Amino acid sequence: MTVVTPYRSAVRGARDGFAQLLHAEWTKFRTVRGWVAAMAVVAPVVIALGLFSAAGNSSSCSDGPKVVPCPAVPLGPGGEAVSDSFTFMHRPLGEGGGITARVTGMTGIITYPPPNHDQIVNGLVPWAKAGIIIKESTRQGSAYAAVMVTGHHGVRMQHDFTHDVAGRPASAASPTWLRLTRSGDTITGYESADGVHWSTIGSVRLPGLPATVQAGLFVTSPADLTVKPNAVGGSIAQARFTQATAVFDNVDLRGAPPGTVWSDDQIGQSGTTQWEQEHKPAGVVSSGGTFTVTGSGDIAPIGQEAGQSIEHTLTGGLVALIVVMIVAVMFVTAEYRRGLIRTTLLASPRRGRALAAKALVIGVLAFAAGLVAAVVTVPPATRILRSNGNYVLPVSLLTELRVMVGTAALFAVAAVGALALGALFRRGVAAAVTAMVVVVVPAVLATASVLPLEVSRWLLRLTPAAGFAVQQSIPDYPQVIGDYSPQAGYYPLPPWAGFAVLCGYAALALALAVLRMRRRDA
Amino acid sequence: MRRELHAEWTKLRGLPGLGWWAPALVVVTVMTGVAASAAVTCPWAGCGSDAAKLSLAGVQVGQAVVALLAVPAITGEYGTGMIRTSLAAMPRRLVFLAAKAAVVIGLTLAAGTVAVLASVLAGRLILPGNGFTAAHGYSALSLADGPTLRAAAGSVLYLALVAALSLGVGVAVREGVAAVGIVLGLLYLPQVVTLMTNDPDWQRFLLQVSPASAGLSIQATVGIPSLPIGPWPGLGVLAAWAGAALLGGGLLLRRRDA
Amino acid sequence: MEATIDVIGVRKRFGRTMALDGMTFAVRPGRVTGFVGPNGAGKSTTMRVVLGLDTADEGSALVGGRPYASLRRPLSHVGALLDAAALQPSRTARDHLLWLAHSQGLTGRRADEVMEQVGLGSVARRRAGGFSLGMRQRLGIAAALIGDPPVLMLDEPFNGLDPEGIVWIRGFLRSLAAEGRAVLVSSHLMSELQDTAGHLVVVGRGRVVADAGVAELIAAASRDRVTLRTTARPEAMTVLAGTGATVAAVDRDTLTVSGLAAGRIVELLNGHAVPFSEVAAHRATLEEAYMELTRDAVEFRAAMTPLEPGTDREGAR
Repeated sequence: MTVVTPYRSAVRGARDGFAQLLHAEWTKFRTVRGWVAAMAVVAPVVIALGLFSAAGNSSSCSDGPKVVPCPAVPLGPGGEAVSDSFTFMHRPLGEGGGITARVTGMTGIITYPPPNHDQIVNGLVPWAKAGIIIKESTRQGSAYAAVMVTGHHGVRMQHDFTHDVAGRPASAASPTWLRLTRSGDTITGYESADGVHWSTIGSVRLPGLPATVQAGLFVTSPADLTVKPNAVGGSIAQARFTQATAVFDNVDLRGAPPGTVWSDDQIGQSGTTQWEQEHKPAGVVSSGGTFTVTGSGDIAPIGQEAGQSIEHTLTGGLVALIVVMIVAVMFVTAEYRRGLIRTTLLASPRRGRALAAKALVIGVLAFAAGLVAAVVTVPPATRILRSNGNYVLPVSLLTELRVMVGTAALFAVAAVGALALGALFRRGVAAAVTAMVVVVVPAVLATASVLPLEVSRWLLRLTPAAGFAVQQSIPDYPQVIGDYSPQAGYYPLPPWAGFAVLCGYAALALALAVLRMRRRDA
Repeated sequence: MRRELHAEWTKLRGLPGLGWWAPALVVVTVMTGVAASAAVTCPWAGCGSDAAKLSLAGVQVGQAVVALLAVPAITGEYGTGMIRTSLAAMPRRLVFLAAKAAVVIGLTLAAGTVAVLASVLAGRLILPGNGFTAAHGYSALSLADGPTLRAAAGSVLYLALVAALSLGVGVAVREGVAAVGIVLGLLYLPQVVTLMTNDPDWQRFLLQVSPASAGLSIQATVGIPSLPIGPWPGLGVLAAWAGAALLGGGLLLRRRDA
Repeated sequence: MEATIDVIGVRKRFGRTMALDGMTFAVRPGRVTGFVGPNGAGKSTTMRVVLGLDTADEGSALVGGRPYASLRRPLSHVGALLDAAALQPSRTARDHLLWLAHSQGLTGRRADEVMEQVGLGSVARRRAGGFSLGMRQRLGIAAALIGDPPVLMLDEPFNGLDPEGIVWIRGFLRSLAAEGRAVLVSSHLMSELQDTAGHLVVVGRGRVVADAGVAELIAAASRDRVTLRTTARPEAMTVLAGTGATVAAVDRDTLTVSGLAAGRIVELLNGHAVPFSEVAAHRATLEEAYMELTRDAVEFRAAMTPLEPGTDREGAR
């Protein structure tokens, strides 16, 4: 046998690495025109739907036949939209001092509650509030701290609208002593059953509190909310007037600047109801050291029943999400269909890495498309909505960023999950239908269908559609009764928790796909 | 046509995964319906819930499973190049498509009937326990009841029309994954897009013309006057969509090179 | 790295079918090794096991002494053509090679080079979906060459090529081997490898039936066989068969005799006064050698030819 000189390759490549795989997968993607075109329409679709719907939505307020500017919604110290209306008997308070009072009892009425909505009944709604408050000023939305007795939730200490601390689970009928002390910016709340033994509920700082603030008694009672399924789809939330009355005695205010007196105000009341006109007006009745305070309204953050949320402008994102997931499925199943996957695995025999490179490429592309879509949609569409007279709930810049980046991340993770399903099933149609059924269908059914509330909530907890929670800009608060349904834009899980559910499913699908790829002959 | 039907039936039986398709349609439909029925209570008379619609809620998910059969029935042939063999054997292309549609729709009708009957039965068993009682104005779900029968039979027809729509889109698009995206987008997205406008006239119009929300009004048994579109006209809208898709697909099939 | 392929005792079972049953052979550099056997003999499966696409139940398959999966930048060690139809139809030919190049850290220049090498330079920017089978085979070979590997494995590269293409590929494979590469080419038709392969691995039923140089194989197939030309065929057959030799009639005046040396035949015929015009040692063709070797190993007889996937099942009705 002759001696052969084995061939020495003259081609020198860069070192072997993941970067090369990424480069190859990117080349694969960008050289199929259909995929590039589909990915390129993602952002324009979202933007067009968002801007057109914003331009088509207008709202106005009228006073009788006259169109008037809508009343401004007060903003809390944190910049959130709040409801701040209550009956307030108050007196100025200096930098040091405090107020003590005993709530001897609390009663109220609820108009036309279910089931028949046909009569006015005596009773308190769970979050009817009566107590003492120290507030920056009588301006709606100003900083405050308060301790109170509630309809069904015992004694609470709340401050600045969004914060709530529970005290004793005292009943609204039994007398309760309440005390607030001020020392500079710090307000401390106490409660007592007998006026002798006091326990601290909490201590809060209200930064920038002016030297003179208002302290006093307050009563308020939020509207009674009933939610009924709508025959067409979704639900109808109805709010009905309620009123609470509390009797205070042993009122003791220390640290009032000299020469100041008690006064009472209806904070944030607009108009009076028939009940108030004919039966019991809101206000304060005092007799020999006993004060009977009647009021309605709420001191609480308000949600999407009062206006639109910024993420509403991204509703068209669901259309784009379908496109993204379809492309992701095709990106992998096209290779299985034609046997090209074998060539891919020859170029990169470590199968997990090959799939990881593919997932990273589609994920980054989907993220980019989603980010462009969100950034170009949310701020301008919000501006258009506002200029058309719509009330868009204000959110912090950080929240706005989270909504936009979260949308992009949602696109990315959904795309990776769809890709993983494609690799798992190897059949495009089955993977695409599965991806739709687990991501898009629950989202649509939960937010835009006749599905009952609890089913919708469970869908958005258990399915990958939980990830849409990352878009929710207005949080729900346990201390507020609101129509916190998915139809109204509230997800049952907090934004990042919901997103984590989606990530979990995507990771699971990816792990199974890698496992199957490794186990099976290609 | 008989030979074509026979041929298409033979082909459909050879479709991968057909063995679990019908059970999947039944299970998905019934389980969704059961979950919905189990989660809803009717605490007082006049609670406003639609018992028939509730027990048939699974159709809203089941329609995706229908697309899973109907789309690959045609796009699978394009994927493998079998379409050329099919058209060589059955040169009358519209007859070929009609035969395929008949077979796919027939199978959907059969499996859909089982799914819908099982859903109604499940609703009949579950709902009375959740307050859907005579005291609250509900009699047990029964097909002897005219509106319930219409909702049930209409749901079967609805699934069959979704199959026809899927087939039409599939033959027009030829690429399975893209066709599935279009079909499911058509079925699910109008409901969401409707939420983007607060103009009630627009909302009503969108609900009247979108295939799923119009078609599903066939399931309504209460509050019919307040629906954007009546039960049968609604199903007619879906039928128009399905017919247009099949016709458009058929014309494309005739004009295009295979 | 050495330019070799070593397949050692590989077994692979698909369900009840033993696809590879102790397959063992080696491919050495500097020559084209033909990998032949009837359909279903296990050629493609062997190649897929070597390339790490299928895992062997037993035994090992090494490239340059290492398993494929452990190779870094594998395409610079082994190039393979398995299925010329494995293409994304909407991608251009050059783009197909471009992503492969990128996966190995190579640039578009390399893609252009291999396109020129296989004669596809003029259609580089055309969609691969519109290629004929012959063009796809060339593109597949270009893909195999992308990393300039010392080892090449081509599965049925002659399929779909026109005569001109077959001539081209034969020359091309020889020149690749002449550069010192190890080239393994599978085929189910020995004739395609006639002037190309210097060495043959003949397989049947998942096992190596013969592993030898082409000359040796032909010699082995020719051994003990003598061609006899005679005008008295029946008499010659009677005489020769009487001694226990196997005699086969080829045509009206030609016989093939095995089991008797030429000298003994002449002696016998002369002894019985049977006339003959020629007695010569038989020289078998490669095809004959192959047929002989694989006679027992043919998986499917004509009567039970299975349907190809994608054929029209109802067309028979």
